[in-house]
Amino acid sequence: MSPSDSSPTPKSGLLPGTLDMLVLRTLSLGSLHGYAVAQHIERSSDGALRVEQGSLYPALERLQNGGLISSKWGKTSTGRRARFYTITARGEKQLGREISAFDNLLLAISRVLGRATEA
Amino acid sequence: MSRLLGLRHRLRALLFPRAHARDVAEEMRFHMELDAMHQGDAKEAALHFGNRTYYQEEVRRMTWYGAFDAARQDARFAWRSILRNPGFTAMVVLTLALGIGVNAASFAVLDLLFLRNPGGVEQPETLRRVHIEHFNSGDGIPFFSQALNHPMYRELVAAVGDSTKTALFTADNALRMGRHPRDPRIRGVYASANYFPLLGARTSLGRTYTNDEDRLGSGVAVAVISDRFRQSHFGGDSSVIGQTVNVEGTSFRVIGVLDPAFGGIDLQSSDVWMPLAMISAPSWVKGPWWNESINMTRFQMLYRLDDGMSDGLIALRATQRLRALQRASRPKRPDTLMNVIPGPLHEWRGPAKLGGDLLIASRLSGVALIVMLIACANVINLLLARAVRRRHEFSIRLALGMSRSRLVRLLATETLLLAVIAAVPALLAASWGGSVLRALLLPQVEFHEAAVGVRVVAFAFGIAVAAGLLAGIVPALQSHRPDLAGALKASPRSGGAHRSRLRRGLVVTQAALTLMLLTGSGLFVRSLRNVQSIDIGFDSNRLVFGTTRFAKGEAPPPAVFDAGMRDVGSRLEARAGIESVARTSFEPMQGLMWLDFFTARDSSGSFEHSTPTISNVSPNFFATVGMRLIRGQTFSGRDDGSSPPHEVVVNDALATRLWPGAEAIGQCMHFRTRESPCHRVVGVVENARQNGVIEEIAAYQFYVPVGLAAQQPVSSTLVLRVAGPTDAATTAMRAALRELFPAGEPTIHTMTENLEPEYRPWRLGATLFTAVGGLALVVALIGIYSTVSYGVAQRTHEFGVRIALGAQLTDLVRQVIGEGVRMVVAGIVVGVLLALAAGQLIATLLYGVDARDPVTMASAALLMLCVAVIAAIVPAWRASRVDPVSALRAE
Repeated sequence: MSPSDSSPTPKSGLLPGTLDMLVLRTLSLGSLHGYAVAQHIERSSDGALRVEQGSLYPALERLQNGGLISSKWGKTSTGRRARFYTITARGEKQLGREISAFDNLLLAISRVLGRATEA
Repeated sequence: MSRLLGLRHRLRALLFPRAHARDVAEEMRFHMELDAMHQGDAKEAALHFGNRTYYQEEVRRMTWYGAFDAARQDARFAWRSILRNPGFTAMVVLTLALGIGVNAASFAVLDLLFLRNPGGVEQPETLRRVHIEHFNSGDGIPFFSQALNHPMYRELVAAVGDSTKTALFTADNALRMGRHPRDPRIRGVYASANYFPLLGARTSLGRTYTNDEDRLGSGVAVAVISDRFRQSHFGGDSSVIGQTVNVEGTSFRVIGVLDPAFGGIDLQSSDVWMPLAMISAPSWVKGPWWNESINMTRFQMLYRLDDGMSDGLIALRATQRLRALQRASRPKRPDTLMNVIPGPLHEWRGPAKLGGDLLIASRLSGVALIVMLIACANVINLLLARAVRRRHEFSIRLALGMSRSRLVRLLATETLLLAVIAAVPALLAASWGGSVLRALLLPQVEFHEAAVGVRVVAFAFGIAVAAGLLAGIVPALQSHRPDLAGALKASPRSGGAHRSRLRRGLVVTQAALTLMLLTGSGLFVRSLRNVQSIDIGFDSNRLVFGTTRFAKGEAPPPAVFDAGMRDVGSRLEARAGIESVARTSFEPMQGLMWLDFFTARDSSGSFEHSTPTISNVSPNFFATVGMRLIRGQTFSGRDDGSSPPHEVVVNDALATRLWPGAEAIGQCMHFRTRESPCHRVVGVVENARQNGVIEEIAAYQFYVPVGLAAQQPVSSTLVLRVAGPTDAATTAMRAALRELFPAGEPTIHTMTENLEPEYRPWRLGATLFTAVGGLALVVALIGIYSTVSYGVAQRTHEFGVRIALGAQLTDLVRQVIGEGVRMVVAGIVVGVLLALAAGQLIATLLYGVDARDPVTMASAALLMLCVAVIAAIVPAWRASRVDPVSALRAE
């Protein structure tokens, strides 16, 4: 029996909930397969956000369940079969909400830190 | 749209779990291969990806199938644990079955009475029944009625605006299938032709009748029958069309068979439908056609509310029209305040006040719910006791990594499963209890379908799930509280103090609710006794009434019938066991007759709504039925067919009303006209009931000798006063009447039979509350017993020490019993408060006893206390028998 821990990003080292946002953001650039999503997140963060790549798949499943992304099997440029993910309209909206919430959080944290250094 | 995509994804994962898993596996494999290519090292890639199996499992858990799978595991686990403890399981299942069964049975009846729409009717929600609020009752209290005459109907049709949207009908559940009174009865409806299209009732064979066949004066004797009637009377013959069925002496040609789903719109399903034009008007309807008679008030009306019409508007228009009609047709006493009130198709959801028995039925769900709560409290109690025993098991599970929420879910599943299992015997009990209840509440209705239908089954499972959740969540939440280390170290015997507090609280709750039910049952039993002890003016349990009915045209001439009845009377009087025989025009409290009269200064016209009624009786009638003469005497002469003396006996109420402050005896009454001869008042009798056992205002009554003044020439009913049981007298009278009038059919009633419906609401309340209260008492007994004996088992060690130290056995016994009694005393206090609050709900159903009656509550409390002592005796005895040596060694 597995522990029923439902925190969104197990073993990631990320802030809880941010993985979904990162995936949505990545897919907002275009349809990608899972590996490409992982690569994009890792590269664009200069390797700072190195998560266990497997943790991406529960996140993808969850986003699909919520209708935020959809998937379709297709062929890669090298002719291999792969599942491509596309963000939906609902996903775009959700991404906007998450980014602004994240901005607010960052701003609040930096304010607290700013005051702490001033004192 | 996106939301639908998500749903589609979830459904696909649920329906094709294998394909979904395959996809995920393939995707991950692809991922790792690609990564291995980039990194140039498969091992590095595997490390980079993490535990693949774990993530596959994670994805699976996210699907509905995964959740379903976990639930299935829980269920399997729960099933195993249920099978391991058959005694416990039996106890829980029985208790829950009791609660569910009582609720399902009460729902079965409530559904029938108030919720379910009649079958085979199209869009029942837009159909309306017309109710009228009248203000011209004898006691001045407004009342509701559905009764209409044809002139009223025509005004109502005008108010609705479209005659095809209305229908007029009258149901008669005692029509003769033939012309002889001996012929079997059937239930028929005379209905206008648009009744069928209005209701959307379809035929499975043939057709319904048309407006042309329902034209007054040229009505055609055709009939539509129910499918059930076709089965029972024509053997399911499909060539039934064209055959005939005889109703009240008229042969009706069957032209259609209705859909099996349709049996009319009343609780009692009907057999035959006939054109309204074929109804035969009673002899007292004057004029050529009954549809012009304002006294033929036996019809009910339906209409369909179309779009664009509102109930309020139709009611307003109809009310104005009916009031205008009243002023025109009853200039003497118009009911100018009457209101038309549209009600739903369901008769008893209309505005009319429910009768006592139906009101009790509507309270039934509350009582059933209380039983459910008591049962749930008991189950929670049992589960808690078991949870303590299973603490060890839970701790190990938690230590092995089971999440707490999963443990709660597991335990809740167990209870849920128990509740669903309990629903099965509960439904069996409900199908029996439902038909018993149905028969108790509606003895006059003959039901054809089983008491438990699909809706009741669904309800039973619904309430089982609710009960399972209620009873399961509390102990489950409790059991995931223990800290791991403590529970693993401690022996399974030491229970948490807060938990036994909870358990005692549950017993207190049970005792309180049970006390409430017992109080209710006590109140109804006392009401019943009060009502039965009302002096109605008759020795009701010693009286038998009998007469003979004849088919139309076969009755002997009045004089012959009269002489014959007198002859039978004198022959019966000679029999042993029959004290006296008298004659009357109708059975007391079963009929009324009026006659206009004048006195020196007054007349019957001055009586507003409570017009005095006349009875023709033989001189010994008063002594026979047990009515006391207050002053004066009964009629002179004998009831022997000689011309009767011009004498009257009045009741006390009429004497006081007509001659206040003066002596009634010796006064004159003139019947019909002021100039008619004087009938002298010779006696004043006590007031007897006229309409019901409970009659706040005494009815005005007067009595004249047989054959005098009345419109009805003969006194048709014999009254026997018997010394012992009524059976022998009933048989003798039936034989004598049959011998005298072989063509007729004797009808014989005892007064007790006649009065039974009067006492029914109270008898019903007393029966239901006592039965339910008894069940609750048993459950409470089990609850107290299990709590006390569990406490004793837990404290075996302590008792052992105390016995070893020389404690008195009586002290131990007293202490254990005291524990049970203390819980019940607390319950009694709460219960009395609850009973005081809930008393208002049944206050109107009681008679002669206050809903807060202290004596009743005290008796109920005493009963509860006795039960507490009984429940605690066995555990107390066990405590006193603890063997100190083995108790100490066991530790």
